[in-house]
Amino acid sequence: MPARNAKQWEKVPGKLSSGEYVDSRIYSDRDIFEEEITKIFSKVWMPVCHESELPDPYSFRTMTVAREPVLVVRGADNQIRAFLNVCPHRGNMLENRPSGSFEEASPSGAPKHITCMFHAWQFDMKGNCAHISRATEGYQDRLECKDVGLRRLRCEVKYGGFVWVTLNDGIGQTVEEWAGGAFDCMQKSLDAEPLEVFHYHKAIIPCNYKLWHDTNSEFYHDYLHYHNRVTGFNDSYFARKNIGFDNGHVNVGSFEVQYDEYEGFESREELSFPHLPTNHWEMIDFFPGVNFNLRGSALRCDIMTPLGPDKVMIEFRGLGLKRDTPEERLTRQRHHNSIWGPFGRNLHEDLLAVTTQQATMSEWADKRRILHGRHELDADGDPTIHDEEGMRHFYDAWGQWMDRWPGDPDLSYEEGQKRKAA
Amino acid sequence: MSDNNIAERVRGTIYQASLCLDEARWEDWLGLCHDEFYYAIRAFSPEINVDMTYLDGKRADMVTLTEMLPKHNSDHSPLARHTVVYTVDVDEAQQTASAVSSFTVMKTELDGINSHLLAGESNVFLVGKYRDQFRIESGTPLFSERIVQLDTRRLDKGSHWPI
Repeated sequence: MPARNAKQWEKVPGKLSSGEYVDSRIYSDRDIFEEEITKIFSKVWMPVCHESELPDPYSFRTMTVAREPVLVVRGADNQIRAFLNVCPHRGNMLENRPSGSFEEASPSGAPKHITCMFHAWQFDMKGNCAHISRATEGYQDRLECKDVGLRRLRCEVKYGGFVWVTLNDGIGQTVEEWAGGAFDCMQKSLDAEPLEVFHYHKAIIPCNYKLWHDTNSEFYHDYLHYHNRVTGFNDSYFARKNIGFDNGHVNVGSFEVQYDEYEGFESREELSFPHLPTNHWEMIDFFPGVNFNLRGSALRCDIMTPLGPDKVMIEFRGLGLKRDTPEERLTRQRHHNSIWGPFGRNLHEDLLAVTTQQATMSEWADKRRILHGRHELDADGDPTIHDEEGMRHFYDAWGQWMDRWPGDPDLSYEEGQKRKAA
Repeated sequence: MSDNNIAERVRGTIYQASLCLDEARWEDWLGLCHDEFYYAIRAFSPEINVDMTYLDGKRADMVTLTEMLPKHNSDHSPLARHTVVYTVDVDEAQQTASAVSSFTVMKTELDGINSHLLAGESNVFLVGKYRDQFRIESGTPLFSERIVQLDTRRLDKGSHWPI
């Protein structure tokens, strides 16, 4: 068909059915975005940092989950706990630094305490209030330390030492239950011995968080990394399978990368992760916006913090083994950064693509259909790497959480299901 | 040749390198570098308390990297740096020199987002220091090492280009 007129453009192309495309408004509509924060991000488990970022008792890290400031601390008992980073007195942010230690005194407070600099209220590493300045003089017996502990958050350390937090006290699942088996493909490698973060950088990208998740989920975009595609990919790359798990998580199956065929790359054979066959690659797209990517010698983890319908912060971490020698660590860094670093070959291409993708979907732009209708099966009938089953699986879970049909977000999930069945 | 003359030549070489990098003249830039040149982009992360190396390689690696640039999809928005050489220390006996420069890299949008709306807009992309080492050969300074020490760690799309 030649170029289409407006009416043709609005029609579903070809014979694609409902459930094989989404409405672009889910990437640009402010109300939908606000709903996602309320209905999804404030309800689920999210990894927020790695335990190696809290190396000693009294270490802390700060972050943001579903717009709420969060403080993660390692207590004197070595236990990692999470709290809202909010003083119960006047709502001040308790700790402003990205990381540090409460072991030393602060200008306003005692050592080994979390101190609000504003009025010097102090808290211990378990979130108990330990001191209210001039408490009796101001509050008499109307308010005491026992009344104003910090807001604790459910927190688990799981899957290679990642610190997981949820704002949802009533969440019915542990992290393991929430993962629903999605980590089975790499858990043995992650839990074999302690890991350590060696790389961190962040990007604030003018795109919806789901566009980044889509890009991590679909490998049809190997055409974007054209040079890699024509030099290093083999038949087993294209035979990889997308496997869906409960709660919208997806695995992309393993394959052996021919690094020595990639121009400008070296083999990862010398330094694989424990239990990972040499040069292999495993990947988990974790609902709603996390990616774990274990590729030979290095683990990459992307954590997304949605900032608006067209803005997302992505934190990129690279991890190796805690026991690495300096030489091994440098090798892992090189392997990680040559592809995934901010000056590496693939990351820039991926981020460029999602930026220009969002540029066509401004908030008031006409809705359009964004396709994910590829069904590319192997001889056994299983979806392969160019099948877009991963995205379809994600959007089905998204639709259930949001009670909206991704292909037409004005419909409820149930209405959309009926339309699909019809 | 006096220390002062060598120091002046080192300054000139750093500014020449800045122009080459601004204009994406990679071969000319590498022409200013010794055969044993080592290049690294580093930053300290206060988030994870680690000195990080974002990119590093020897001269041959940088040749490979720059030769492959046309084979990649890239943001081609020009990067222009304002470089100021702060210190130059010459060791005449060893025929070496070291220098510290401050730089600010500005990006002028071209094709990274929506060119109709944004092309032509300039923004700060990176801030940091160049820590350079030189070998002086027949009076000519050649880069033997460049460490790009970044202060900027929010790197957004990043770049395929040497900084």
